Amino acid sequence: MKPYKKHRMGRRGESGKRERPEVDHSLVADSNVLKHFASYATELDLKHDKYERIVKFSRDITIESKRIIFFLHSADKENSKHDLLKDADIRLRQLENTLFKSVGEELNGEDPYQFLRAYTSGLQEFVEACTFYQYLKFKKLEGWNCLQQTLKFNIDENSKEGCVNETSAKTCSVLMPPSEYVLGVADLTGELMRNCINCLGSGQFESCMETCAFVKEIYNGFLSVGNSGPKEFSRKLFTLKQSLHKMENACYTICVRGSEIPQNRLVDVLQDASEVFEEDEGFY
Amino acid sequence: MSNIPEIFSAFQGYLDNEHSVREVIRTHTREIEATAREILITLQCIHQANGAKEIPAACERSRKKLEDVRQQYEQLKGAVPEDQYYRFHDHWRFVTQRLSFLVALIQYLDTGEFISHAEVAAELGLACRRTDGFHLDLEDYLIGQLDLASELARFCVNAVTFGDYARPLHISKFLGELSAGFRMLNFKNDSLRKRFDGLKYNIKKVEEVVYDLSIRGLKPSGEPSSGDPSELEPKVSPSEGVGEGGGGPTNSAD
Repeated sequence: MKPYKKHRMGRRGESGKRERPEVDHSLVADSNVLKHFASYATELDLKHDKYERIVKFSRDITIESKRIIFFLHSADKENSKHDLLKDADIRLRQLENTLFKSVGEELNGEDPYQFLRAYTSGLQEFVEACTFYQYLKFKKLEGWNCLQQTLKFNIDENSKEGCVNETSAKTCSVLMPPSEYVLGVADLTGELMRNCINCLGSGQFESCMETCAFVKEIYNGFLSVGNSGPKEFSRKLFTLKQSLHKMENACYTICVRGSEIPQNRLVDVLQDASEVFEEDEGFY
Repeated sequence: MSNIPEIFSAFQGYLDNEHSVREVIRTHTREIEATAREILITLQCIHQANGAKEIPAACERSRKKLEDVRQQYEQLKGAVPEDQYYRFHDHWRFVTQRLSFLVALIQYLDTGEFISHAEVAAELGLACRRTDGFHLDLEDYLIGQLDLASELARFCVNAVTFGDYARPLHISKFLGELSAGFRMLNFKNDSLRKRFDGLKYNIKKVEEVVYDLSIRGLKPSGEPSSGDPSELEPKVSPSEGVGEGGGGPTNSAD
């Protein structure tokens, strides 16, 4: 029983130097089959452990990215915006240089596609945070190539104890396939919608319209790609459409009733309107 | 003002590119699949009444077809961009699992022995490690071994039906060792694990057959020296098997 339990714990706990108690070495020496399987076991463990480590990094990346996004949402007042954006930029760079660098080191010398599924969620969240920052700062997006550039790192001399077999390469990177980038942008539209409604609440109608126009462009972009995209595409496109409807509704409310209603009531009016709308769509 | 259309048109370009690569890969894997099916059918003769006699010829023919497979893999290699094996892995994963099963089956029928990852890779003309180029994924190889186990469980039953009473003992020993090997691995909760869970039923089936034989005194006298299964082969010839009731200490089974 004990060895079994140990093995279970090894699986969940810290990876790395796990004991392999169930291997009876006297048996291994005799049998050709077992000799081979002993090496397969090592190989599989190495791969699985690496995968798990990357999943952990990815989870941390997701958390920090979400925090940055939340932080950026407080950047609606023009006067404080500058400082906020600067802080957000620092946090994003920091995220790149710590967690992403760790992922890069894990991926060094590997086929990144083999581990893509381990870090895809973190990557998409990161794209969302970066593009949200870019939008607030420059009102435009940088393509995936720019982001990919920021995910290239130099490896320090002897960075890891020994779990990664650092080859001759001096740089490592975290691969960002364009499809991951585009899926991240799809998530971005949800944040833009929130940002748009916030602006409405604080009376920045100009910025409302601007954001709405921006999301429209993204929507057009998605339509132009059509169904040829990756699997999650259609689901994200559906959400994107919902967000866009809300924003268009907001802009409509501003134009039609903006002069009648006091600014601080506008959001309430809008909320009611969008609820009615959602019922119509059979959403919820 | 905005660069969004550019981003999306670049993305469209990326998708189109990927699509055409996938098309080419698909054509090549389809060819490999066709050959794999032919080999599979060739080897199905082991389950027939006169199968045992045909085994050497079937293996011969299958090995010839493996040459085609090697060439087809060669073409596939050309279609897969370097360092993107796992991006497109799904396309050839299934057929590669099947082929590593078939190679292992041929090896078993020929020599009665286990075949290692490196040997299967060599038979298919693939590298063994990722760093050496287009390789045989370890998990695909292992799934092939599990497929072999379920095929042997079936073979065991049919062999007995057609009078080969030595085969189950050999298969039982073979699977015992294989399963000892698999039990050394730590599985994640993935498809390999699910397949591994099926292994015990295959072993159970074989053990039942061995039990049935021994309880009726049908087990051949000499324990099959499985280290040297070539000894096994001659005994297996079906005409003898059926005619002489499996040789040895055969008591009529009711």
